[in-house]
Amino acid sequence: MAGKASGTVVKLDEPLSFLGGVDGSTGDLRVGNGGNVAGKVLVFPKGKGSTVGSFVMYDLMVHGVAPAAVVNESAETIVATGAVISSIPMVDSVPSVDMFEDGDEVVVDATAGTVEIRDVVMKPTVSSAVMVDGKVLMLKRPDRCHSFPGMWSLVAGKIEDGESPADAAVREIGEETGLSVGAPDASLPPVYVREGKVLWQVHPFLFRLDAADPVLNDENEAFQWVAPEDIGGMATVKETAPVVERLIRQ
Amino acid sequence: MDLTREEEAILNGEMGEGMQKAMELVTALGKIYGAEDLIDITSAHLSGASYKTIGDGGLKYLEDMAAGGAKVSVPSTLNPVGMDRERWAEMHITRGFAEKQLRIIDLYGQMGVRTTCSCTPYTGANVPSFGDHVAWAESSALSFVNSFIGARTNREGGPGALAAAILGKTANYGLHLDERRRPTVVIDAEIDGSVFSYSLLGQAVGMAIGSRVPYFRGIAPGVEEAKTLSAAMAASGSVALWHAEGATPEAGGFDVSDLEVIHIGEPELKAAYDKLNTVQDVQLIAIGCPHLTEKEMHQIAAFLKGKRKVNKDIEIWFCTSEEVRSKCPEDVKVMEEFGPVLADTCMVVAPIEGTFQRTGTNSAKAGNYLPTLCSQKAMCRDISALMELVM
Repeated sequence: MAGKASGTVVKLDEPLSFLGGVDGSTGDLRVGNGGNVAGKVLVFPKGKGSTVGSFVMYDLMVHGVAPAAVVNESAETIVATGAVISSIPMVDSVPSVDMFEDGDEVVVDATAGTVEIRDVVMKPTVSSAVMVDGKVLMLKRPDRCHSFPGMWSLVAGKIEDGESPADAAVREIGEETGLSVGAPDASLPPVYVREGKVLWQVHPFLFRLDAADPVLNDENEAFQWVAPEDIGGMATVKETAPVVERLIRQ
Repeated sequence: MDLTREEEAILNGEMGEGMQKAMELVTALGKIYGAEDLIDITSAHLSGASYKTIGDGGLKYLEDMAAGGAKVSVPSTLNPVGMDRERWAEMHITRGFAEKQLRIIDLYGQMGVRTTCSCTPYTGANVPSFGDHVAWAESSALSFVNSFIGARTNREGGPGALAAAILGKTANYGLHLDERRRPTVVIDAEIDGSVFSYSLLGQAVGMAIGSRVPYFRGIAPGVEEAKTLSAAMAASGSVALWHAEGATPEAGGFDVSDLEVIHIGEPELKAAYDKLNTVQDVQLIAIGCPHLTEKEMHQIAAFLKGKRKVNKDIEIWFCTSEEVRSKCPEDVKVMEEFGPVLADTCMVVAPIEGTFQRTGTNSAKAGNYLPTLCSQKAMCRDISALMELVM
């Protein structure tokens, strides 16, 4: 579990059963997009499946094709056991595998519990769903935008130095829509969206208003009120529809 | 986690690499489950014994552990292995498999594990007492000692249980703690009381409650019934502890008046039966999951005495421990007219998929695992109904 390692990320979006999922003598992946785990930093949400998976990890180590490190969102017995008996450094509490992309160069410090993604910059932002009468205010980003040009988004913007996420959300709503809001009605832990070498750390908020008449500044070119179930059908910034759904359920 | 000075020293490698690895594993698992400290154990029971289930990775792990001088420090027993040590040829086992399996048994022996290989060590080789903290793997056995004896164990995995056995300690969380042993649901059971009805009851309850702690009313299990019920609920759900009013040692201490009540009767048992039966004809009948007790050996022999096996196409295996087999020579003689009485193995951990495709059993546990671990279509009936297929 302890120790340091660095390497190239191989990422899986689904929980992994080492038994059946990885060939113990070659390191070949039989799930996801294939590839090989030997010497790589293997990133997946968490382990699942047969307890024999621990011994498959040992088999990888014996054959010299073990991953250099394992990175999980949450720890579970099978992978934790396999990592310890096979001396594979493991960090088991990253907020989301969405922070990583295949090919990222990372440094894993299992003793400190940290993972550094080289050449990637994390930018903290807010993204607020403003709701009136069950509909969500969606803004259209101009084509000249650096990030997600031409896409529909919630009321979003960067958090400034020393500013709290909730304060940033209130400020951005004021700047971009002219609306004045109080404290948020709901929030979520940050979600992570990768866009090339930028990692957006997005703090989602929900503000419910009785009525609203938005006046846009030049950061957006149009707005519309959209029922939450229709957001999924629009060209939006990544993760918008599931974030709105989770905010409303809060 | 709050470790003693001695435990810290082990973790820092002052007692050698084998002990350090064991401590790393026990503390890593403890952290996952929020354990605050470690607790002394009085025994361990280890899974990960069959070459079929642990493969070459597991064998190499055991080789390395034994070579590093690892030794268990509390009485420890081992789960069934992939074959009868002497009669493996009758099980259609290859020599290559047999050699690796015998090596695995030998390696556990080198580490001080008692290699009577059974899933029912609580009937003889390894019997915890009420209130003992233990580290047991094998889902059916750990549920039996938790529930029917009142010992305390979590669901340990193979390497975790071995590490605990080496240290004589395990992480203190879950079912080691009073508050986690409280029932969380009441089961009003309506069954005919036969051992087979406990298989169906366990299947139905496991399907209904997953990993909750059930409190049964309306049943009066003895050892065989408790064994069967534990195995079934651990396989169809992941129940590790159950209580039965008037029958298990901790049941009297709980107020269950506020708990949800689930009724299990004929419709639920029928659904459980249908789930376990996916085929109408079989090539193998395998009895003894979990391993047959002496009482069951006597009952089966009494039922078979004077009868003849007419259908030669169906093989029959009876599975028990070497300990029980050696105590019942007269029963064995009668049963051998129908099929081999195999010791220290079973139909789930043996590589039967190389020989058979359709297997009959009286066990809900086997009924769950035969399709997934052995690629079998399964039939699940009581012993007399299974025996009628060959008479």
